[in-house]
Amino acid sequence: MAGERVMRRRKEHSEYFFDYSLLFIVLFLAGFGLVMIYSASSYEALQENGDAAHYLKKQLIAIIIGFVVMIAVANINYHFWERFYILGCIVAAGALFMVLTPLGIESHGARRWFRIPGIGLQVQPAEIAKIATILFLAVMVCKMGSSIRTLKGMCILLIVPGILALIIKVVTNNMSSALIVLAIAAVMIFVASPDYKKFILMGLAGAAGVTVLVMYIVSTGGAGGFRNERIIAWLDPESEGLDKGFQTLQGLYAIGSGGVWGKGLGQSMQKLNFLPESQNDMIFSIICEELGLFGAVAIILMFIMLIWRMMVIAQNAPDLFGAMLVVGVMGHIAVQAILNIAVVTNTIPNTGISLPFISYGGSSIMFLLAEIGLVLSVARRIQLKEL
Amino acid sequence: MTGHNKIAYRKKILATALLCSCLFLLLFVRLVYICVWQADYYSAKADELHERERSIKAARGRILDRNGEVLADNRTVCTVSVIHSQIEDPEEIIRVLSAELGLSKEEITRRVSKVSSIERVKSNVDKSVGDRIREYDLAGVKVDEDYKRFYPYGDLASKVLGFTGSDNQGIIGLEVIYEEYLKGEPGNILTMTDARGVEIEAAGERRQEPVAGDDLVLSLDRNIQTYAQQLAIQAMLTKQADSVSILVMNPQNGEMLACVNVPEFDLNDPYTLVNAQDGTNLTGKAYQDALNAMWRNGCINDTYEPGSTFKIITAAAGLEEGVVTPESTFSCPGFIVVDDRKIRCHKIAGHGSQDFVHATMNSCNPVFITVGLRLGVENYYKYFEQFGLKRKTGIDLPGEASTIMHRKEDMGNVELATVAFGQSFQITPIQLLTTAASIVNGGNRITPHFAVMTKDREGNVTNAFQYPVQNGIVSEKTSETVRSILEKVVSEGTGKNGKVEGFPVGGKTATSQTLPRGSGRYIASFIGFAPADDPQVIALAIVNNPKGVYYGGQVAAPIVRQLYENILPYLGMEAYNE
Repeated sequence: MAGERVMRRRKEHSEYFFDYSLLFIVLFLAGFGLVMIYSASSYEALQENGDAAHYLKKQLIAIIIGFVVMIAVANINYHFWERFYILGCIVAAGALFMVLTPLGIESHGARRWFRIPGIGLQVQPAEIAKIATILFLAVMVCKMGSSIRTLKGMCILLIVPGILALIIKVVTNNMSSALIVLAIAAVMIFVASPDYKKFILMGLAGAAGVTVLVMYIVSTGGAGGFRNERIIAWLDPESEGLDKGFQTLQGLYAIGSGGVWGKGLGQSMQKLNFLPESQNDMIFSIICEELGLFGAVAIILMFIMLIWRMMVIAQNAPDLFGAMLVVGVMGHIAVQAILNIAVVTNTIPNTGISLPFISYGGSSIMFLLAEIGLVLSVARRIQLKEL
Repeated sequence: MTGHNKIAYRKKILATALLCSCLFLLLFVRLVYICVWQADYYSAKADELHERERSIKAARGRILDRNGEVLADNRTVCTVSVIHSQIEDPEEIIRVLSAELGLSKEEITRRVSKVSSIERVKSNVDKSVGDRIREYDLAGVKVDEDYKRFYPYGDLASKVLGFTGSDNQGIIGLEVIYEEYLKGEPGNILTMTDARGVEIEAAGERRQEPVAGDDLVLSLDRNIQTYAQQLAIQAMLTKQADSVSILVMNPQNGEMLACVNVPEFDLNDPYTLVNAQDGTNLTGKAYQDALNAMWRNGCINDTYEPGSTFKIITAAAGLEEGVVTPESTFSCPGFIVVDDRKIRCHKIAGHGSQDFVHATMNSCNPVFITVGLRLGVENYYKYFEQFGLKRKTGIDLPGEASTIMHRKEDMGNVELATVAFGQSFQITPIQLLTTAASIVNGGNRITPHFAVMTKDREGNVTNAFQYPVQNGIVSEKTSETVRSILEKVVSEGTGKNGKVEGFPVGGKTATSQTLPRGSGRYIASFIGFAPADDPQVIALAIVNNPKGVYYGGQVAAPIVRQLYENILPYLGMEAYNE
């Protein structure tokens, strides 16, 4: 951290500070993402759109908008958002139902986007639901006080995120976003409650449940819809004729053929139409193919540093509300990054989760940058003498 | 909020961050496993996916005669293929290819419009045509060079050498038997492609060079084969025979010097029937049957009743068992009664009183029947098996026919009597030649063969073939006695037309009636070896269905005589001067 600069800031703005480290990490990830999106998508983009930079341009515009939003949010006192905690959830729910209207856009066999008339911007409402969940829970944790310790309090906190997750799952048929909303809620409740035993027990019970479920699916041979098929494809990606197995396998080819040092930037073979979604959910495998294990480790380290920065901010936040906001954002980014890399390396069954800041996706990067804006806003309220 | 609470959630935040870091660490371990331990496996799989393979045919090994003369060679030809994903102007491709390759437009259209990674349009295209097509520089058309089999001597030893198919694989003959030595290892041209099959220019191509097959060196002698073929054609024409076969072998080790079956066929054009009028309106199965008949090597694939040449075997068995000696005397009244059957001698008046040597010179049936009966079924069958007649010879050509012989328990005296002079059972010509050779060479049952060794292109021997030899099927003494009797047959007896000025030749004639009896069809044959006291070469000539005079002594013996007059000096044997 640029200590000298912080010293200077302290003099200028008396006791407040701006977290340049966090900003730098985020900018690095987004910029690196642009390079990789261009590398991964240019071949396909040239074929389909006649413009190698098609995806690069769209992502760049989204990042610029997101960056402006981030700076704006960072300069607004985060307590300003406190009053919108119920409205946010209503807007998120409303936006989710928008995909059913004629404004909804179908792509890859699922209706998950809608177009904002006039400016032609496509929005994935599940991203709104994630940020609304973070805001809602941060406010609720403060309001409930010590009643959060009880099981009843915990259940009350879960009601709204649960409803949002259900809408995401049912209306947009997007299992992974629903899971992320629930995961964000789980992380925030875990931090807010002083108890450990309960969570460890629940974690163990959950793990046991998943194990039993997987064993059941394997014993029935995956007969029962495409989610079960995913489990089979996960356990044996080389078995023939499974769509999800195909994508996973192509990803593994990419990672494996990159080896330790990678093939060099731009030298990926798998991006030449072999790997579906190579600039999107599977971009991490292209990073591995081109930059090797070292490139992949660099990205993982960047995410760990990002989470570490947010942890420091959350621990030093001036109040519980600020801390919970940062924890929510931290949970969101950590869960998505971990799940994405786990999917790409076939550590867990395949499900469509994008890699924060790096994967192609306008809504995702804009809302993530807005969330970083919130974190920066909390960071600005930290009084340095508390450090 | 209370201070206690604040400390609690701070700890929780730290715990969360640590948990996340641990999960990242686990993913890092997983990545190391994939990128390091499984890298080779996935790299290979990925290469397999990215590379399109075009195989390069390996040059097939040549076939050489014993003096290094090339009997089967390769000529460079081209294979024209189309790559669907790279075609830009299908109309032009169809026009050019149909004009250059002489295929119908429909045929080419079918190939061009087929969605496949690479589609072969035509193989074995002349190099000049391939070069012309290459000059059009059509996108999506590939001209790859490969090899086509070429036989410099056309029909020479056609049924022995065999020929190859469109993939340069052996179809018949030695080309089939020695396929694994001749074929070599095909190479590959590997080109990188994207998922749609479009080649990536910058990636270049990787070549795996083909490994040429080994040359096969035969014991066959091109000069002897050529001369034998000329004699066979001459005999076939003058005697209007259906076919003529000549086998020439070294009786000491089984090396085949010549194997002629006229009519031969052109190895460079094996699908054209030799008798054109037969082939004009044949289609489907009838055409295929006619081809198979034309390709058939009668000396190995077909059996016949050997007739009197088989008396060599009866004589050897009788002498070995001691039931007859050269001095034994017999009387031939012109027939012999076996059980209730009266079997005639070919000389109806009978040969009168004669010793065993003269009986052989006269080829007297009653005497050999008597010898056979003295041996009895049990002993005769024992020698039949001991001489190797029940087994195949093991010659290195495909489809050798088995002996057709009475079962021992079905053999009565009548059957024994007919077998003794070479009737009522069937063997292949190569079986007769091999057995006779084994009796006169001192009693060593040799394995007839063509291939001697394989060599690589630098001339280093890569395989030297070994063939089994069974020693002592008859004693050296019996062998010597048989040789001297057979020399008499040629010098003074029925085989005198096989006599060669200046060389002692031993031999035996045969005139066998083909089944059904009374059809007027005969097989004239003569088996002769030289020099008679130490045989270095043995030959069998078989004339199938000659017109006019049909006796083996008149028809077949002169063929062997003419052969020996030329090849004995050629093989370095010196004539003695009287």
